[in-house]
Amino acid sequence: MGYSFFSLLKKDFTMMLSSKFLLLIVGSLILYSLYINLVYVRTDQAIYPVYLLDPAESIENISGQIIRVDNMEELQSHTSDGYAVGIDATGAAPKIIMTASGLDSTDHTRTAYALSLLSPGQSTPAEVIGQNSKEMKSRREITSEFLFFELAAVGFLGLASTLFEEKYMGVIRIHGVMPISKSLFIFSKLILFLLADLVFAFLLTVINLGLEAGFSVLPAILVQTVILSIIMALVGFFCAVWLPDFKQFSLLYIVFAIFITTPVFLVGQTSITWNWINYHPMYHLFMAIKNACFEMPVGEPVYYIICVVSIVVLFLVAHKTLTREMAKEG
Amino acid sequence: MIEVKDLIFSYGKDKQALHGIDFTVGKGEIFGFLGPNGSGKSTTQKILTGILKGHNGHVSLFGKNITNSYNKEFFKNIGVLFEYPYLYANLSGLDNLNYFASFYPKEQRQDIEVLLDRLAFKKDYIKKPVSSYSKGMRQRVSMARALMTSPKLLFLDEPTSGLDPAGAVLFRNIIEEERKKGTTVFLTTHNMLDADLLCDRVAFIVNGNIAVIDTPKNLKMQNSNQKIVIDYMLNGKRENKMIEASELKQGISLPHDEIISIHSQEPSLEDVFIQYTGRGLL
Repeated sequence: MGYSFFSLLKKDFTMMLSSKFLLLIVGSLILYSLYINLVYVRTDQAIYPVYLLDPAESIENISGQIIRVDNMEELQSHTSDGYAVGIDATGAAPKIIMTASGLDSTDHTRTAYALSLLSPGQSTPAEVIGQNSKEMKSRREITSEFLFFELAAVGFLGLASTLFEEKYMGVIRIHGVMPISKSLFIFSKLILFLLADLVFAFLLTVINLGLEAGFSVLPAILVQTVILSIIMALVGFFCAVWLPDFKQFSLLYIVFAIFITTPVFLVGQTSITWNWINYHPMYHLFMAIKNACFEMPVGEPVYYIICVVSIVVLFLVAHKTLTREMAKEG
Repeated sequence: MIEVKDLIFSYGKDKQALHGIDFTVGKGEIFGFLGPNGSGKSTTQKILTGILKGHNGHVSLFGKNITNSYNKEFFKNIGVLFEYPYLYANLSGLDNLNYFASFYPKEQRQDIEVLLDRLAFKKDYIKKPVSSYSKGMRQRVSMARALMTSPKLLFLDEPTSGLDPAGAVLFRNIIEEERKKGTTVFLTTHNMLDADLLCDRVAFIVNGNIAVIDTPKNLKMQNSNQKIVIDYMLNGKRENKMIEASELKQGISLPHDEIISIHSQEPSLEDVFIQYTGRGLL
């Protein structure tokens, strides 16, 4: 059995090489790392600019961050972008002038911030919690995002494309009349793609978080990589064997990438809150990777139980689909 | 070697593919399984090779009921040539065979290069990727895959498909040689010449039922019209006449100057097939 399994691994590795999957992984790693180091950590949007119309200079001791304007036209022109905030102090009480951003919560924050600049001495400095600098926070955040995307979308696509190649060549059904178990056929692919994902996770983490921070989060990240990689590989395996051609798979992939992954990113990385996201399984997998990147506690025991049960169920489904594929006509 | 009794199989509720077929195949026999597309021959072969499960009726191979015997030992004893030469196109023929051979015990494997040589495979292609092979070369590698583990039972689906006439003769000789070694061959084909020349017995299957099982010779004899056509010359003119075969016992009584040829009107296996089934082998 050992020799047979080694043969399967060797063949799958050859297929992996010929499908250029490893090249794609190396390319992704380089691209993500360049983006993180050269673009993302250097990008910082300025806080809302605040403009004040107070020709009589009736308000004293304002913050130095406030920009004075001379007339209403100028104030309205500066605040038309949905980001800047204007204060009209020509009346008895200051009035806020701004274009709505579309989110009430953001607009309240903008208003509170602008008003706080009118009396800067009264504000209490925020307490700094944790040891992450802004740059390290950005690095951890974007690393978790890229890692999740790579494991969920690219890994899924990689296994499926390799399997489609075997399906088109008709060789899958040959294994149905050979003294080799179907489980080994699946295991060999899972192990190879898992190893590729683990190497990717290791390099992405160490390159972008640095040696010290990287190694301290690696154990938790690798555990989450194992879980997500196996789940996605099994889903990719099932889809590639079940769907008749790559065109249909591509459509499913688009649905998966846009409609399933996007809400997870929106809730996980922005201030958007949707209660229903708790029922989205990918959200929990993403948050587990994010928490691992931030050295936060990752998942309750029930999370791991559900993951293991999901892997077992997906494996059985993949096994059954493979058996059906082997019985198909040429 | 193979015993099938009242075999029934359905794809779903309303699509019954086999309606209770019976046949046996003896050790060392070449058994032809002939039928048009959709007749149930592939379904039968898939059940016998363990690919398709969920049948009703009794099927035993190597003396064991197959429901309980689809294990590694079973697969070690069979060789299967599929209708199409399924191979890894990015690997060479040799790498393909080495890969598939690795699932079998070393002592069971034949020398692959010797086997390919026996199948008249072009040596300079042995390490080139399969994607550069002609259909005939792919068929040779596929045949080598079926034979490389010296199976006791060979399932061959259209073995001479894609081969030139010389290749087809070579394959028929190899199948004959395998039978002489004691290998049982279950041959599925549309090629009546292969069936006629190779098979000890043939079964005609139509719409999931076996119409008849017999030797090709008996089938042709039983369905012959017992007539003979004689070509002859008379007064410088070429003539022909059809007579009853029994009339020949008294010699050729018709007036003639010279007999050119005597042809029995024995039907071909294909004629017999159409006679039994009312359909051609499409």
